[in-house]
Parts: sequence; structure tokens; C-alpha cells
Amino acid sequence: MCVRTFLNTVLFGVGAVLWLAVTGLVAGPFLYLWPGKNGCNARRFVYVQAKGILFFMRLCSRSWRVERGPRPQGPCVVAANHASALDLYTVAAFGYDNVLYITKGWVFKLPFFGKVMRAAGYIDAETTPPQQMLDRCRQAVKDGCDIVLFPQGSRKNPLARFKSGAFYLAIELGLPVIPLAIGGTGKMLPSGALWLRPADILLGTLGAVYPADFTGPLDHLEMAREVKKRIMDYLQKEHML
Amino acid sequence: MNISKEEIIRQTNEALKKEFELTDAQLTPQANLKDDIGLDSLDAVDMVVVLEQKFGMNIRQGYDLRSIVTLQDLYNFIEKIAQESMQNK
Repeated sequence: MCVRTFLNTVLFGVGAVLWLAVTGLVAGPFLYLWPGKNGCNARRFVYVQAKGILFFMRLCSRSWRVERGPRPQGPCVVAANHASALDLYTVAAFGYDNVLYITKGWVFKLPFFGKVMRAAGYIDAETTPPQQMLDRCRQAVKDGCDIVLFPQGSRKNPLARFKSGAFYLAIELGLPVIPLAIGGTGKMLPSGALWLRPADILLGTLGAVYPADFTGPLDHLEMAREVKKRIMDYLQKEHML
Repeated sequence: MNISKEEIIRQTNEALKKEFELTDAQLTPQANLKDDIGLDSLDAVDMVVVLEQKFGMNIRQGYDLRSIVTLQDLYNFIEKIAQESMQNK
């Protein structure tokens, strides 16, 4: 282990934990009293926390690049590749401050985070019945939320298959999908790692993919392949895969 | 539909590889569709549509698909439907 990795881990560990603890202690009581319509205040609180985490990620990175593609008007589905726990915070780099995450169930069992996630109205992908999930997403879209998913399902580096659920949702709700390419987080903090290595980080939102461009009973599968291809092509072009 | 077992296996594997980005190594007859191949409930629905298109038959109506656990179960199931459609002609 190099000195930079050790310093990174200490800096991120202390800085991020302090940031989460202080903001949690300050904002917690307010969120409890004023959760906002359908958890919108909690979602904005998560955005503020994520911005802080991104600040520490940036300090720990070797290089940091954020590329913003054109964003369509109105709510979208954001579909990202997933190689690290750090990926959860990356959407905040693009200023998406009102997002609904659909994630795995174990995250809801974490102390503190689980409570915030429930307050924010995030959806447990493993236990929520499909129709209920669709209804909650429809309501969230009415509230102006973007929906964020990691279609690989779990942290995998390099890219694994994109499961089609996110795209089925986008087609059902008639929302464009913004591919979010995340490069370097899998090197900085891969699944199971405890040390934060210095790495080049690239975050890029790519041109939107629209449901109307896909037809037939397997439209969501085609859309999943298209979004994955765009992310792969982008990361390969930037030598991040 | 007159189709051999080998052809069912070949066409099923071909369709699964294309639609679900699977490799030959994953497609063993004993492979569990959920645990080994990683197909979730929506994938299972998609798989049925893919196979209906591939073999030109109706799989969804009148059959209990919950008994299909492994790839071998899937091959056997398609073979059974193919035989039934032959007998009904």
C-alpha cells in the first residue's frame, strides 16, 4: 500500500464521516419535523450530503473530470454503470438534486442511511411489488423527481449485462433515459476494498435515449443494450475500461 | 413442429446468448436460471417472449412455468410443447 492510498483513506474516512455526521445532526430534526412533500426535503438533504462526499472523492482522485451532455426537459431515468459504493453519490455532480433511487434492499438496513432513504421515499427493488414500484415512480415523476438506477444490479467491473427493469420502467412512464458513465471509481474503491486508492475519475452524462425509438415486445431489452453500448463506447474511448 | 432435441438446445442457447449476453460456459444443462445465469423475474418474462419468437409457439398460455428451474427443465419444456403441437396437427 502506498502513502497516498493511506492518506486518501484517512482523509476520506474522517472527512466523509464527519460531514455525514454533522449534516445529519443539524438537518435530522428539521427533516423529522418537515419531511416535505413525499420526502422531497430528505432527497435534497441527500443531494447536499452527496456534494460533500464528491468533494472528498475529488481530493482523493488523481484527476477529476465531469462532462455534462445535453439534458432533456423534465424528469428522466438516469441509468449508470456500477463498480463501486462511491457511484451512489455521482449523480450529484450533475446538479440532479431531486432524485429517487431504486436500490437493493440491504442498503435500507444500514443504520442512519436506511432511515434517510426511507424518508426520501427511495424504493427497495427487491421487496417492492412491481405495480407498487411503478405507481410510486409515477408519483415521484409528478413531483419532479429523476429516477436513478444501476441496471447491472450490483457492483461489477468491467461492465456486466444491464438488466432491463430500468428500461421497462422508462418505457412505461414515457421517460427518456440518460446514460451516466462512471469511470475510475472501481479502481478507487472496488467492491470489498477498504483502502481508497488514488484514481482518475471521469463522470459523463451522455445523450438521452428515448422510448419512442424502440418498439415491439422486447423494446426494453433493446433499450438496455443501447444504453450499455453508449456507456461502454464512451468509457473505452476515454480509456477508462 | 418437427424439431430435434439437439436443435432445441442449440436454438435456445443461441437466443439466450444474444438477448441476455450469456456465454457458452454459463449455459450448462444443470445451470439454475436464477442463481447461476442471473435471470430475474422480468428476465423470465422476456425469456418466454424470446423463445416464443424463436420457436413460433405460444408458451405463456396454459402452462405452469414455475416448474422451470434449470436450463435442462427449459429444454424439456420446449420439447414437450413441440411434441404437443405435432400431435394436435
